[in-house]
Amino acid sequence: MTGGPRWRVALAALALGCAGFALAQNPLDFSAEERRQIAAHGPWPPPVRKDLSNRVQHKPAAVRFGRRLFFDAGLVASGGVSCASCHVPARAFQDGVPVAQGRSAAVRRNTPSLLDTVQQRWWGWDGAHDSLWSASLAPLLDANEMGGRSDTVAARVRTHLVRPYRAAFGRHPAGDSDEIVVVSLAKALAAFQSTLVSARTPFDDFRDALLRGDRLAAARYPLDAQRGLRLFIGSARCSVCHAGPTFSNREFADIGMPFFVPGGGVDPGRHGGLTALLASRNNRLGPHNDAGSADPQALATRQVVQQHRNFGEFKVPGLRQLAQTAPYMHNGSLATIEDVVRHYSELNEDRLHADGERILRRLDLTAEEAADLAAFLRSLSGQ
Amino acid sequence: MKRQAAALLALALCCSATVACKLPAQRGWQAAAQGPVRLAWRAPRIVAGEMFALQIALCPAQARLVAVDATMPDHGHGMNYAVRLQAPAAGRWRADGLLWHMAGRWELRFDVDVDGERHTLRHSVQLP
Repeated sequence: MTGGPRWRVALAALALGCAGFALAQNPLDFSAEERRQIAAHGPWPPPVRKDLSNRVQHKPAAVRFGRRLFFDAGLVASGGVSCASCHVPARAFQDGVPVAQGRSAAVRRNTPSLLDTVQQRWWGWDGAHDSLWSASLAPLLDANEMGGRSDTVAARVRTHLVRPYRAAFGRHPAGDSDEIVVVSLAKALAAFQSTLVSARTPFDDFRDALLRGDRLAAARYPLDAQRGLRLFIGSARCSVCHAGPTFSNREFADIGMPFFVPGGGVDPGRHGGLTALLASRNNRLGPHNDAGSADPQALATRQVVQQHRNFGEFKVPGLRQLAQTAPYMHNGSLATIEDVVRHYSELNEDRLHADGERILRRLDLTAEEAADLAAFLRSLSGQ
Repeated sequence: MKRQAAALLALALCCSATVACKLPAQRGWQAAAQGPVRLAWRAPRIVAGEMFALQIALCPAQARLVAVDATMPDHGHGMNYAVRLQAPAAGRWRADGLLWHMAGRWELRFDVDVDGERHTLRHSVQLP
């Protein structure tokens, strides 16, 4: 009987091992073309995109200053509101409500998550900004959002934030105009936001395992998510727009969401965004671009064309951390991932522009397909 | 005799121009032709959603590149950006500001003027 307990432990381990093996399923047999498409959604995380218009983007003192400003509820005279009021860290840097609750009811768009925001080309649902610092400046001074004024914000910096300002920019704020001070704050805020990178996800582990031929590790990815992935890159053609590691082509599309605003009026989307962008003093063609005319990223601003079809187009959002960023769409009108899948499955093609994307069509998914697609979308969230 | 000499001279000039105008033929260059126009272009690896530039070589020598554009015929839309052209050397052009925001079939279009006449060359490209 000596060693009996050891035998029992070994048998139990064997039984558990077998049970574990039985639970693990083979990954689907993805074709070479499917594997190529899956590979294109990684690796994660990608390198941080360098913003030449912001010379302090990677300066540690600027990142620290930006973090402090982000949570500073005293930055604007009205007080009580900071960037973090809407971009809540515990909610993937968004707020969980359909449209932002700014100082005025006039805010009519959903608060986007700031995770991976540095990967974008245009900022805001309408792309009214061509840099992260310009996008950070706008809500600070917008009467409907934080409601700050350049003179009062600059005055606070000159009285309360001299040391971190000097550390970040190498000069005293008293020597800078109000405009330079607030633009500099925006660049520090952008430096901080450049560090907000979303966690790896079950999809990333699956992708990497698939590419290195590790079937055992790949098999840990649930089968429903695998079937949903196959739909995503295949017949549902989601990856045509939701492309690359961030699952966004970083451009704009009309997907048949209503652009009428409750209470009257319309949201012109990208069309209005382009009007604002090209008129802005804070775009890459303006005086605050640290790289000046040598900024290669200014090419997009210089060459972008405003077209009629831009009306009602909104940014193609990235899909990472999707499970944490409900509700969805520019107006926050879809509460769940299942609602989003249903929107595409039952798409009203008559609602689309005559000159809109012909690629969009009703998916008419079965209940199982819809559940698989939702399972895949959920797998794009990590801890 | 004078007429014959002039004809011979014209022929010689024409032939020398044709011989002198060479297009790159190395790997990576794509060729297109239409009427008297011969064109070669190349690009770095094109990635959906990322800006890229084209290098373009044109023959005959007097050909002038007027416009470059691209559309997705199956989707009924083009690019969101206008292309900027520069001529860094005789017969050589650079097109900046192209961005293909979707995977699928794109049709590149080159408008070329030769001796006062417009020629349009098209090249189909599958963006994976």
